[in-house]
Amino acid sequence: MASIHTGHKHPLSQMIAEINSIFSEIGFVFAEGPEAESEHYNFDMLNFPKDHPARDMQDTFFVSSSIPTVLRTHTSPVQARYMESHTPPIRVIVPGKVFRNEATDATHEAQFHQLEGLYVDKGVHMGHLKGTIEYFFSKFFEGDVEVRFRPSFFPFVEPGVEVDMMLKNSDSKLANRWIEIMGAGMVHPNVLRNCGIDPTVYSGFAFGMGIDRLGVMKYGVDDVRHFYSGDLRFVNQF
Amino acid sequence: MKVVHEWLQEYVGPTIPPIEALEELFMFHAFEVEGIEKVGEHDVIDLKILPDRASYCLSHRGIAREIASITGVPLTYDPLQSTERLPTFEDITVAIEDTHACTRFGAALVTGVTVGDSPQWLKDRLHALGARSINNIVDATNYVMYALGQPLHAYDAAKFPKVDGKWQFHVRFAQEGETVSLIAEKGADTDRVLSLIGTELLVVDASSNTPIGLAGIKGGAFAGVDEATTSIIIEAAHFDPIITRKTSRRLGIVIDGSKRFENNPSPELIPHALREVVLLIQKIASGTCVGAVDIEKEPVSQEVVVVNPQRVNALLGLSLSVSEITELIARVGATVTQEGELLHVVPPFERTDLHIEEDFIDEVGRLYGYKHVVSVLPEVVPLSEINARHVYSEAVRTQLVALGFSEVITSSFNKKDIVALRNALASDKSYMRSSLSANVNEVLDKNANLTDLLGAQDTRVFEIGTVFSEVNGVVSEHVSLCLGVRLKAHGYTPKDDAALREVVKTLESVLCTTLPLTIEGGVAE
Repeated sequence: MASIHTGHKHPLSQMIAEINSIFSEIGFVFAEGPEAESEHYNFDMLNFPKDHPARDMQDTFFVSSSIPTVLRTHTSPVQARYMESHTPPIRVIVPGKVFRNEATDATHEAQFHQLEGLYVDKGVHMGHLKGTIEYFFSKFFEGDVEVRFRPSFFPFVEPGVEVDMMLKNSDSKLANRWIEIMGAGMVHPNVLRNCGIDPTVYSGFAFGMGIDRLGVMKYGVDDVRHFYSGDLRFVNQF
Repeated sequence: MKVVHEWLQEYVGPTIPPIEALEELFMFHAFEVEGIEKVGEHDVIDLKILPDRASYCLSHRGIAREIASITGVPLTYDPLQSTERLPTFEDITVAIEDTHACTRFGAALVTGVTVGDSPQWLKDRLHALGARSINNIVDATNYVMYALGQPLHAYDAAKFPKVDGKWQFHVRFAQEGETVSLIAEKGADTDRVLSLIGTELLVVDASSNTPIGLAGIKGGAFAGVDEATTSIIIEAAHFDPIITRKTSRRLGIVIDGSKRFENNPSPELIPHALREVVLLIQKIASGTCVGAVDIEKEPVSQEVVVVNPQRVNALLGLSLSVSEITELIARVGATVTQEGELLHVVPPFERTDLHIEEDFIDEVGRLYGYKHVVSVLPEVVPLSEINARHVYSEAVRTQLVALGFSEVITSSFNKKDIVALRNALASDKSYMRSSLSANVNEVLDKNANLTDLLGAQDTRVFEIGTVFSEVNGVVSEHVSLCLGVRLKAHGYTPKDDAALREVVKTLESVLCTTLPLTIEGGVAE
C-alpha cells in the first residue's frame, strides 16, 4: 500500500509554524486557550464593560451554557489567561481560530484565524511594539518592512493604534504601498490589574491580526473561504 | 458620523484646512475617514467614530474641537464656551424618580413661533448628512443635535395639559405591562405601541401619568408639533447610558438620539443646546423664549487626573519635555497645572472619556504623532517554555504528510449536535461540532474523484481541530485528530479501514506512542 505521493500541510498550519519560528527566535512562547470562551475572559477581563458600546465592535456568537459563554471573538482572552498564570517578563504569541457572527464573503468568514502577540516587562514602550512588528513582517514577507501607527481604539489597550505596513525593495505585488494590517497598543492598566500585574511597575504591548489575511497577502489567495473548503485542489497548491 | 466642511468652518474659522488636508490630519491624529463626498454644494466627510471618542465626537462642534486640538489653532467660535443662559422661570416642573437614571433635565418654552418649512441652507445641511427635513421646529432640534451632540425633543405646549398652571414632566421607570405609543416609523402610518417590562425609563406627562416617550430613545406622538403649533416646549435631558442602551437594544430601536445617549455625552451640554436651539428657532421660526428650567441633582465636576511626564515618555518611547507634554494636553481644552514633577490635569467638561493617566498618554501620543516613535527590537531572550501540543501536532503533521495525507481545516459549525448556539448564522450552522469524522468523510467524498487531477493514487486527508461537548451544562472542548482514506473513487470499502490501521501503526511507531483512534467507515478519529 506504500504511497510515494506525499501530502500537503494546510497553508494556515504552514503560516502558523513559520510565525512561531520567527517569534521564537526573539523569545515569544506559543500559547493557546479555549475556542468556546467565557464572557469573563473574552470581554470582562479585557476591559469591555458590560452593556457598553465597545461590545458592538465584535459580532459575537453566544453559546447555550449554564455559564455565560461565547465563541471567542479574538485570541486576546489568552492574554488574560496567560498573564494570570505567569509573572513578567512575558512574551507570547497566540495563533488560533476565532469566530465572528458576520455574513461571509470573499474577505470575511464566520471562522478565521488570528494571531495575538503580548510582551509585558519593565519599561516596554511603543517603540518596542513598532520594532517587533517590523522584525516579524520583514521576515514573514522577506523584505524590508516599515510600519506606521494611526490612532484607534480597542478596550484592552491604551493608547490603541491601527498598524499599516509597507514592503520596500521587493518585487512583490504588495510592495511600495501602505496596507492596513492589524490593531495594537499598550496593554490597558485595567487589564494588567485584572490579571494581577502591577501597572505602575510593568507595561506591555499587545497586537492582533488575521492569519487568513496574511495568507491572502502572502500567497495571493483570492477568497478566504478557500481555507475552509476542504478542497484538495486548493490545499495541494501549498 | 458625517460632517459638513462648511459647518465645521463656523467653529474652526477661516484657517480650516481644505478637505484633503483634513483627511490626512484625521487619519494620523484622530480617526479613520470612511469616505468623502459632495452632496449638492457641500463637502461631506464620513468619519469612523469609535466608542472611546463617541461621547464628544458625534457632533460638528466635537469634530471642530478635534481639528483645533490637532492643529493647535483655537476655535474662532465655540458654543460650549458661551456664558449666556436662557431666562429661568417656574412654569415647568420636573419630577425625577431616580437621579442616577436621569441626572439632569432641562426644558425651554418658546411662544409665538410660526411652524413651516426650514430655510434652504438648513435643509441642505440636513440633506448632506442624510437626514430628512420635517418642519422648521423639528429640523432645529435635529440640527442642534448634529451641531452639539445633545438630542432634543419638541412638544406643542398647547397640547400638553397643565396642572395648577404648570407643565409637569415626570421621569420614572415603566410599570410592568404599561404601554407607550411611539411616533410611526418611516413608511408606517400608525404609531408603534410597545408593551413594557419595567426596566425602561419613561418621560411622562404628570397631569395624566401618561408615558410620552421612551427616555433617550424615542418620543411619542404626544403633543406633536404641527402647522397649527404656536408655542413649544423643548426638552434636553441626560439619561443613563446603560439603561438607554439596554432598552434600545432590546427593542431594536437604535436611532441618532439613542446612539448619542448610550455613549454618555456630558450633561453640561444641556444649557448650551437649549440656548442654541432657541436662538436658531427665533431666527427661522421667530418666537420669544419665555423661560427655561434646568433640573440637576448636583452639578458634576471633572476630577483631577495626575499625569507623570516621565511615564508619558516611558510608555510612548519618546523624550518630550514637560512643557511639550503640557502644551499637547492643554490643546484638548484641559487645564494643566504643574505640581513638582507631576501634572494635575482637569479635562474640559465635554470630555467624559478622560479618566486616567493612560487616557492622556493616548492624547499626547496621537496629537504629537506616532510617526515620531522609533522602532526598537526587544532584547533577544531564549524561550521560557515550549508548547508541547504545538510541537506534537507539528510532528503528527510532518509524518502524515510524508505518508501521503493532506491537511484540511473544516467548519467548526454543525447542523445538529450537542453544543448549541443562541444566535446562529444559519440553520445548518446552529451547533458546534462534537467530532471531526463527518467533516473528514465529506472531504473524502468531495475529493475522491479528483485523484487523477491531483496526481494521486487515492485520497488521504487529516484534520487537527477543536471539538465541543457539554458536561453538566458547561461547554467543554478538546483538540481532536482525524484521518481519512478513500482508496476507490466510488466510495468506502473495508480496505480503507485496513489502510488506516497500517497508517496508525506507522504513526505510532514513529512517534513512539499509542494513538487511541477509532477506525470506522474509512475514517479514524
